[in-house]
Amino acid sequence: MKHPNDALTRIELQSPVPEALAAEIERRLYFVSPEITGYELVVKDHEVHGMVLYSPEPLDHAALTAKVDYMVNNDVRKQRVTPARSVWTSPNRRAPQGDIFGLLAESGAVTEVGEGQVALGEPLLSLFTYFDKAVCDLLAEDFDAREYRYPTLIRTKALETAGYMKSFPQHLMFVTRLRNDLDVYRDFQDSYAGNGLDSGVLGSCGNVDYCLPPTMCYHTFQQYGGRTVEADRLHVVTSRGKSFRFEAAYSTTLERLWDFTIREIVFMGAREDVLNSRERFMRKVFAFVETLGMSGFCEVGNDPFFCGTDTSERIWSQRLLELKYELRLDVAPDRTIAVGSFNFHDDLFGKAFGIDHGANGPIRSGCVGFGLERLVYAFLCQYGLDSAEWPAQVRSAVVGS
Amino acid sequence: MTHDDARARVRAFLIPQLAGRPLADSDDIFALGYVNSLFAMQLALFLEKEFGMSLGPEDMDFDNFRTVDGLVRLVTSKAAV
Repeated sequence: MKHPNDALTRIELQSPVPEALAAEIERRLYFVSPEITGYELVVKDHEVHGMVLYSPEPLDHAALTAKVDYMVNNDVRKQRVTPARSVWTSPNRRAPQGDIFGLLAESGAVTEVGEGQVALGEPLLSLFTYFDKAVCDLLAEDFDAREYRYPTLIRTKALETAGYMKSFPQHLMFVTRLRNDLDVYRDFQDSYAGNGLDSGVLGSCGNVDYCLPPTMCYHTFQQYGGRTVEADRLHVVTSRGKSFRFEAAYSTTLERLWDFTIREIVFMGAREDVLNSRERFMRKVFAFVETLGMSGFCEVGNDPFFCGTDTSERIWSQRLLELKYELRLDVAPDRTIAVGSFNFHDDLFGKAFGIDHGANGPIRSGCVGFGLERLVYAFLCQYGLDSAEWPAQVRSAVVGS
Repeated sequence: MTHDDARARVRAFLIPQLAGRPLADSDDIFALGYVNSLFAMQLALFLEKEFGMSLGPEDMDFDNFRTVDGLVRLVTSKAAV
């Protein structure tokens, strides 16, 4: 968020980067330094030459330049540009309405209660239930899925096994507690009474054994870890749960939250079965979106891998092999948000978690995840708050007429 | 450069990944599990170095990378330009 009194730091990249990779730079800048509160890229002749960074206080130019260059050189520059590829475009054209989040806030339907955290009331709760049920009903038409509810916490070990530390350190959210030792509690209370709470309290904790889950599928892989599941059939698991990702200053309205809800479906089995299931379910979802009259598209996407030794390679291969498709719906005349993704992991998690498919070696897996807050928000952006304007199937399910 | 020359050089590069397993020119090396997804980047770097070519966005089609036939087609089409 820019402020008129912000200090400006102008960064010139070591050498320009194709403009096609601009979004890859933008989605990482707030993780380069917590002092950055806004940015503008400097683009000339279809290349990103640098950027202007905003901050409340002046920043050390040399140090910031070094950090930005590291991020760009490691995570972005080595990415090969792949053309955008859409696999579906809705035939519907709906003009998103104005400031829906503002209207929701005025009506008391949403309240920002923290960074990337929003309290939800009606009509969002009913819409939330509607879309979640709709997704589950679509799934049930073709698949015999087992549903689970997972704990809110997830073992850090599960995230390590999934490779999360190497892939997405920027999103990690640890869960800590005071060490269960009387002396620690007494010291804590003395310190708190005198100085209140600060990060020094972390010295009295020390545990790193639990995290908040960034998504639901890691729960499923942990649950199935070390098992040999029945061969010659597809295993489908679904769950809904709160998911957490530190998003720094990227959090905004219901479009990007630190704390949100995912409906996830995990497919495990033979490679072709998993790929075909992903495709079949994806097409069902597209048809559903079309029947709702919503506008949007689905395109090849990639994850925001950050700061790893092979970040660029992973992003490029993810795009080339079309391992991820993102369903994007319009929320403003010039903006879409990803409300769902359809992913193929090949044998990555089967190998990592030791999940075998009979005698056929590691299972292949894929997952489909829907950000339910985003789905509801996109719907409201396209149809507005007046339920009389909503599609009949939504209105009857949500308001009963 | 002939198709056969390109095919021989591509196959020579792939041999360490095959571990003695058979590979037809139309076989998908990714689907067969002979390589993982990150190998795609190694393939791209190999093509650029071995054949002195520069791959652009227009070449980023998975069909160009998943089979020997695709790789040979990509190499010879670029050489013909």
